[in-house]
Amino acid sequence: MTDIDLAGPTRAAIMHDTIHFVLRIRFIVQTLLQYLFLLALPVHLAGMAAAESPIDFNRDVRPILTKNCTTCHGGVMRAGGVSFLYREDVLGEGDSGLPVAVPGHPEKSEMIARIMTNEDAVRMPPPDHHPDPLADEKIEILTRWISEGAEWMEHWAFQPPEKPDLPEISDPSWPAAPLDHFILARLDGEDLAPSSEAGPAEWLRRATFDLTGLPPTLEEYDAFTAAHARDPRRAREEVADRLLASPAFGKRWATMWLDLARYSDTFGFEKDPHRDIWPYRDWVVDAFNADMPYDDFTVRQIAGDLLDDPDPRDLIATAFHRNTQNNTEGGTDDEEYRMEAVIDRTNTTWTAWNAMTIGCVQCHDHPYDPIPHKAYFEFLAFFNNTEDVDIDSDFPRTKVAADPELQAEAVKLEQALVSYRNEINDQARETAVSLDGWSLFRPTEAFITPDTGRLDQRDDGDILSSGTTPDSSVFTLRGPAADIAAIKLEILPLNDDPAHWDERGAVVTNFQAHFVSPEGERREIRVREVVADYITGPFDPQDTLRGNARGFGEFPMMKAPRTAWFVPEEPAVPQPGETLELTLGHGARCNGNHQNTVLRRFRVETTADPRLAEALADPERAGAWQHHASLQSRYNSIDGLTIPVMRERPEAATRETRVFIRGNRTTLDEVVEPNIPEIFGRPEQAESRLDMARWLTSEKNPTSARVLANRLWAEMFGIGIVETLGDFGSSGALPSHPELLDFLAIRLREHHQWHIKPFLREIVLSSTYRQSNRIPANLLEIDPHNRLLARGPRQRLTAEMVRDQGLALSGLMHPELGGPPVFPPQPDGVWNSVYSGATWNISEGPDRFRRAIYTYHKRTAGHPGLLTFDAPDRDLCTEQRQTTNTPLQALVTLNDPAHIEFAAAFATRMADAGDDPETRLVHGYRMLTLRPPEPEILGILVDLHSDALADYRAAPDEAAALADDGTPERAALILVANTLLNSDHALNR
Amino acid sequence: MNHDPMRHLCSDQCGENPQVLGLPVPDSLKREWLTLATRRQFLTRGGKALAWAGLAGLMGREAVSSAQAAPSLNPHFAPKAKRAIYLFMAGAPSQFETWDPKPGLADYYDEDLPESVRGGQLLTGMTANQARFPIAPSYFKFKQHGKAGHWVSELLPHTAKVADELAVIRSLHTDAINHEPAILLMNSGNMVGGRPSIGSWISYGLGSMNDDLPAFVVLTSKLTVFQNIQALSSRLWSSGFMSPEHAGVALRSGGDPVLHLSNPKGVPSKLRREMIDGVAEINRNLHDRIGDPETNARIAQYEMAFRLQTSVPELTNLSDEPESTWLMYGPKAKEEGTFAYNCLMARRLAERGVRFTQVFHRGWDTHGDLPNRMRTLCDDIDQPSAALIADLKQRGLLDDTLVVWGGEFGRTVYSQGRLRPDNYGRDHHPRCFSMWMAGGGVNPGMTYGETDDFSYNIVKDPMHIRDLNATILHLLGIDHTRLTYRFQGLDQRLTGVEPAYVVDKLFA
Repeated sequence: MTDIDLAGPTRAAIMHDTIHFVLRIRFIVQTLLQYLFLLALPVHLAGMAAAESPIDFNRDVRPILTKNCTTCHGGVMRAGGVSFLYREDVLGEGDSGLPVAVPGHPEKSEMIARIMTNEDAVRMPPPDHHPDPLADEKIEILTRWISEGAEWMEHWAFQPPEKPDLPEISDPSWPAAPLDHFILARLDGEDLAPSSEAGPAEWLRRATFDLTGLPPTLEEYDAFTAAHARDPRRAREEVADRLLASPAFGKRWATMWLDLARYSDTFGFEKDPHRDIWPYRDWVVDAFNADMPYDDFTVRQIAGDLLDDPDPRDLIATAFHRNTQNNTEGGTDDEEYRMEAVIDRTNTTWTAWNAMTIGCVQCHDHPYDPIPHKAYFEFLAFFNNTEDVDIDSDFPRTKVAADPELQAEAVKLEQALVSYRNEINDQARETAVSLDGWSLFRPTEAFITPDTGRLDQRDDGDILSSGTTPDSSVFTLRGPAADIAAIKLEILPLNDDPAHWDERGAVVTNFQAHFVSPEGERREIRVREVVADYITGPFDPQDTLRGNARGFGEFPMMKAPRTAWFVPEEPAVPQPGETLELTLGHGARCNGNHQNTVLRRFRVETTADPRLAEALADPERAGAWQHHASLQSRYNSIDGLTIPVMRERPEAATRETRVFIRGNRTTLDEVVEPNIPEIFGRPEQAESRLDMARWLTSEKNPTSARVLANRLWAEMFGIGIVETLGDFGSSGALPSHPELLDFLAIRLREHHQWHIKPFLREIVLSSTYRQSNRIPANLLEIDPHNRLLARGPRQRLTAEMVRDQGLALSGLMHPELGGPPVFPPQPDGVWNSVYSGATWNISEGPDRFRRAIYTYHKRTAGHPGLLTFDAPDRDLCTEQRQTTNTPLQALVTLNDPAHIEFAAAFATRMADAGDDPETRLVHGYRMLTLRPPEPEILGILVDLHSDALADYRAAPDEAAALADDGTPERAALILVANTLLNSDHALNR
Repeated sequence: MNHDPMRHLCSDQCGENPQVLGLPVPDSLKREWLTLATRRQFLTRGGKALAWAGLAGLMGREAVSSAQAAPSLNPHFAPKAKRAIYLFMAGAPSQFETWDPKPGLADYYDEDLPESVRGGQLLTGMTANQARFPIAPSYFKFKQHGKAGHWVSELLPHTAKVADELAVIRSLHTDAINHEPAILLMNSGNMVGGRPSIGSWISYGLGSMNDDLPAFVVLTSKLTVFQNIQALSSRLWSSGFMSPEHAGVALRSGGDPVLHLSNPKGVPSKLRREMIDGVAEINRNLHDRIGDPETNARIAQYEMAFRLQTSVPELTNLSDEPESTWLMYGPKAKEEGTFAYNCLMARRLAERGVRFTQVFHRGWDTHGDLPNRMRTLCDDIDQPSAALIADLKQRGLLDDTLVVWGGEFGRTVYSQGRLRPDNYGRDHHPRCFSMWMAGGGVNPGMTYGETDDFSYNIVKDPMHIRDLNATILHLLGIDHTRLTYRFQGLDQRLTGVEPAYVVDKLFA
C-alpha cells in the first residue's frame, strides 16, 4: 500500500510549517483558563509568522476580513457599496467612488486609508461598535497583501482539491498507507512522535466496531492472534477483508447515511402517522454492503427516477428525498409544507454532499460565502417539479414487490401505466386542441347547492363563485342548448398574475350534462371520456365520471390554468325547447384533508365539431383502453407495499420557480431556471435533477469528495479533519491537515473510484489508526482532542452500538437483514399517539433481538434507549451527532429491562465457561475486552461477586426477582455481568 | 429594543475562523469563545459535554479535561427571576371565556362578523367552508377582582383570588394558525422543528442550580376528560441543534418519574451501590492505564445517576407535604400526572433550584361544544394554577420565580359550527390572544395590550411571541440578542432573526 512514488514537498514548505508551529506550540498552557486567555493572541502570532513569508490570502487575510469586515461589507449588508466577498468588489469602488483596494498600491487603497485614519467619522471598523482600531499587525498584513498585488484566493473549500505530493517524514518505516505520511509529517513538525502500535485486542475491537458496529468475538480474537503471530500484516488484512465483507458492515454504515437522509418510519409533525419507507433503509444497507460507488449511490437517490434504464430498485433509492416530513394536521396549507419539503431537500443535499450551509441563502445572499440569494432558488428549482404535494396519501408512491423477483416487472408496469395513460390522453388532446366552432356557454341560471354561495358570469364569459362553498357544493348551470360534440371546461386561477398562482386547488369531481325540456324532463348527455391538457397529480381525469371524491383540476394547489374536454359518446342534439344543464360536483379536500377545492373561476364552451367524438369512438381506442386496463390489473395483482418516491411532473405541468423575497414564499420575485451556483463548478448541462445529481460527485464540484472523505475519516477517528462535518464554508472550521484532506478526497474519487470499502480498508490498516490510544499526560495537554493523531482513536459507542453490543455479547442477536421495523422493549407510555391507535407492541421472537437499525423510528417519540445515547430524532438532516455524557445514559444500561435481559444472557455465556466463579468472571471479562483481567480487576470482580452472592443467599427473594432460575448464584452472576457491561471498557471502542 | 440597523441580525457578530496555536478551534471551544466575546463567563467543556452541574465537582482533582469547577454562568444583568415555571395550555384557550372580556358582543349575537374586521384573513380549513361567521358572545360572565381590578372569567374563581399577583397580557399574537407550527413557535421560536426549546436555551444560558437535578424539567399532564387530543411530543422540549444535555427531562407519571430510574427487580440499593463502586474501580484502573479523561467523566456520570436515584424519589415523595397543601391544590394533586399534581411538583422543583419547569396541559382546542369543554378544562387548571402562585408566595419564592400561563394562539369571535347562546365553537385565531405572567419581576396587577371590540385585532401594544420569549429571557437575566449558539454558520438565538422587543412595561 505504500509503494506509491510521490515527489516530496518542498523543504521550505515543511520548514515554514515547522517554524510556524514551533513558535506557537511554546505558548501552550495547561489549563483551559489559560488556553482561553491565549485566544486573544493567535492573530498576533500569525502576524509574526507571516512576516517571514509572502502573504497567503486564505491563511492571513481572509480571517481578518471575515472577522472585522464582512459582517457589514458582505453578502447580507454591503455598507457603502463595499463588499469583501468577491474579488471584483474588492477591486472595485464603493459608493464614494474611491477604489477599495488597488493592487500594488496600498496608498491609493481606500480600505487602508479608512482603517489607518484617526478620524472617528470615517475610521473602519466604526469606533461606535469597535472602540479599538484594527491591530497594527492586522493593518500590516492587509497593507502587505495589497503591496504584493492583492492576490485573491477563493475560500479553500471552493478550490478543487489537488493531489498533493507525499511529504517528507522522519521515519520512512512508519507509514503503512500514504495517509500516514501526512500525519507523521505534521507530528514531525510539532516535534511529536506517534504512539506505539496498539495491541491486537485493542486494534481488533476498534476495527470490528468501526467496520461492522459489533464487538469481535473471542474466537475471532484467538484466530487473529494466532495469525498475527505468523504474519501480523497479513493477519490484519484478513481481518479487514472479513469485516468489510460481512453483512454487518452495511448495517453499521447505513446508520451514518440514514442520519443524513433523515430516515424515519413516520411522517413527522403533530400526528406523526406511520410511513412505509423501510425498503429505502434496506436499499442503503444493501448499497453499502455491495460497495456501490458513491457516484452511483448519489445519482440513484437524487434522480433514480430520471434514469433512462433504471435498475428496478432505483426508484426505491429516490425515497431518500421522500423522507421529508409530511404535515397531515387538519387545515395546514399543503403548499406551505410541500415547499418546506422542497426547501429541506435543497438544504439536505447541500449539507450531506457539500457541507454548505445554504439555508442562509434562502432569505438573502450568503453572509460570508459567495453564494447569491438567487442561486438558492435556481438550485431549488431542480427539486420543485416533483409530484409530491404534502397530501395524506404521501403520493406519489412506487410498489415494492413482496417477491423481489417481481420487482422489475412491477416497476416496468408502473412506468408503462403512466406513459401509456399519457399516450392515450395525448392522442386525444391533439384532436381536442384542433377543434373549431367553440361557443361560450352563457347560462341563464346558475346556482350552488347548498345555497350558501353564488355564481356570477363576467362579460368575458368567466364564471366566478363566491360566498361559502363547502366541499359538497354542486354548481348547476342552465342555459341555451346547442349541438354538442365536446364541452370544454377551463379552470382558472383567480389572479391573472402568475406570481400569485399559489391558490387553493380547484377540482371538479362529478361532472354531468343534461338536456332539460320545458317540462323539466332531463335527458343525460352521456360522457365517454374526459380529455385533459395533461395529467398530473393523484387523480385521473376519468375520475370525474366516477362519482367519487377525485376528479379533474389542480390539486391540492392551483398553480396554473387547466383545460379539460368532456366528450359525449356521440354528438348530442337538443330537442326544440330544451336547455343545457351542467352540474359540477366537488369533493376533493386539501390542506390536511380539511379544505374544499371548489372551482372559483372557470369558463365553459361547447362545440358541434364532431372530430374528437369520432376519434374517441374509434374501436382502436377502445382497444387501447382495454390494454391499459389489463396492465393495471396485472400491476394490481403483484403483491407488495407501496412507498413514497420521487416522480417528476410532466413537462407541461412544470412548476415555475421564483425567488422568494426575503425567503417568504408568499412574496415572489423573478422566475428562475434550474442551475448550480457558479462557485461550485457549474457543469455545461444543468437542466434536470439528473444533471444536478451527476454534478454532485463530478470533478467539477470542489466539495463532495472532501466532504465524504472527511465524514468517513470522522467515523473512524472520532473527529473530522474539518471538525464541522456539515460546514465547509467560511464560518466552518478549517482543516487540521489540508493536504491530507485533499489527498484523501482524490484518493477516494480517483484511485478508489468512489468505492468506500477499499478507502476504509486503507484507514483501518494504516499506522495512524493502529496506534495505541493510551494518552500520555503531555499529549493530553498539547492535543486534548487528538487532532494531530499522535495516538489512536478512542470513541464512545454510538447509540446503536450500545444496543448491538449487548445483543452480540449476550448471544441474543438475530442477524437477519432487512424487513419492516421492529419493536424491541421500551417503557410503557413513551408512545402517546394522538389521533391514531398506534401502539408499541413489543416484538416477540427473533424480532425482539434485531440490531438497532431495525428499531421502529418514530420522529416524535424515538426509542428512549437510543435517544439517550444521542441518536437524533431525524426531523431534519443530521450532519453530526453530538456525543454527550449524561446520568440518564447510565440509567439505561443499568436499569433498562432490555439491558438486564442482555446481562442475563451474557451471564449464561459466562457460566458456560465452567463451574468455578472465577473462571466465569475471567471468561466474561475476556468476552468483553478480549484480554484476561489484571489481578486487580479480577479482585474487584471476585469481591463484587462474592458480596452479591452472600447478599442473595441472605435474601433469596431478591435473587428470585433477578434470576430466571431463582438461584443466588445466577443472580450474582447477572449482577456482575451487568457491571461489566457498564464499565468504560464496554461503552467505548 | 436596541435594534441596531447597522447590524443585520442574521450576521455573525464576532465570527471568524478562530485558530489557536495553529489548530482550528473545535466547535465547542469556538462557542465558548463566542460566549466570552459576549462577556459571559465560561461554561466548562473539556472533551465531550458533561451534563448538568456538579459533575466536575464530583470528579475532584482527577477532572483533567474539565478544569473549571461547576459552571457558574453569570447572567447578562441582574436577573429578576432565578427560575421560571411555564404552564402551557396546548390547544389554545379561548381568550373570550378567560382573560379578554367583550361584554359588548351580546349586542351582536348571531350577526355576521363584518368583513372589515376580518380583513380577508386566511382561515383554517375548519371554517373556511362556513356559510356565515356568526358572532358568539361568551356564555360566561366576568367580574373584577382584587385591588388591581382584573376582569376574570367566572370559570376561574380560584385564579381570581390571586389576580393581584398577575400581569395579564391581552395582545399576544403569533404567525401560525395551526397547532403544531404554533406550539413549536411558542416553544422554540420557529414554526419548523429542529430548534432548541426555550427551556434548552435557559439551561444552556444559565445552567443548573442543583447538582442532583436537571436544569430543565418537563411535566405533561394527563387529561382525564378528553381522550386523544393535542399531541405533546418531546420535540417541544428538544434541545434541537444544541447538545442533548440541554433537552428537557420529562418526569413521567406512572412508573419511574425518570426513565429507568428504579433499579431492576432483585437489585437492592446496597448492591447497586457496590455495582457503582465496582464500575468506578474498573474504570479507575482503566484510566490509570490509558489516561482518557472521558473515563473519569464516566465515573462521575455513574455517581450522578446513583444520586438521581435518590434525589428524584425524594422529589416525588409527597409524604412530607402538609395537609394544607392538599387543601390548596385540591384533591387531584394526590393523583400522579394530573395538572394539580404537576403544579405541586413544579413548586417542589422550584424549591430545589430547577431553572425551568414546563407544565403542559392539553385539550384546549375547542372547535365545538366550547362552553362545556371550557368548564371542564378551566376546572382542571384553575385551582392548581392559583395554588401554585399562592404557595410560591407563602414560601417566599414568588419574588424570584417567574410563572407564565398561556397557549399557542387565540380563538375566533365567530362560532364554528352551529351557534346557540349556550353552545358554540371557536376556530383558531393567531391575531390576538391572552396570557398571564406572575412573580419574578413582573408588575403585578397590570393589564397589557388591548384588542378591538371583537377581540379580532390588536388595537394597542401588540406583543409577538418573539417579544414574549425575549421578555421571559430578560426577566431571567438574559439578553436574548446575546444568548447565541453557533449552528450552520449562524449565531442562532431563541428569538430568531426578526426584531424582538423586551416589553419592559410589564416589569415591576
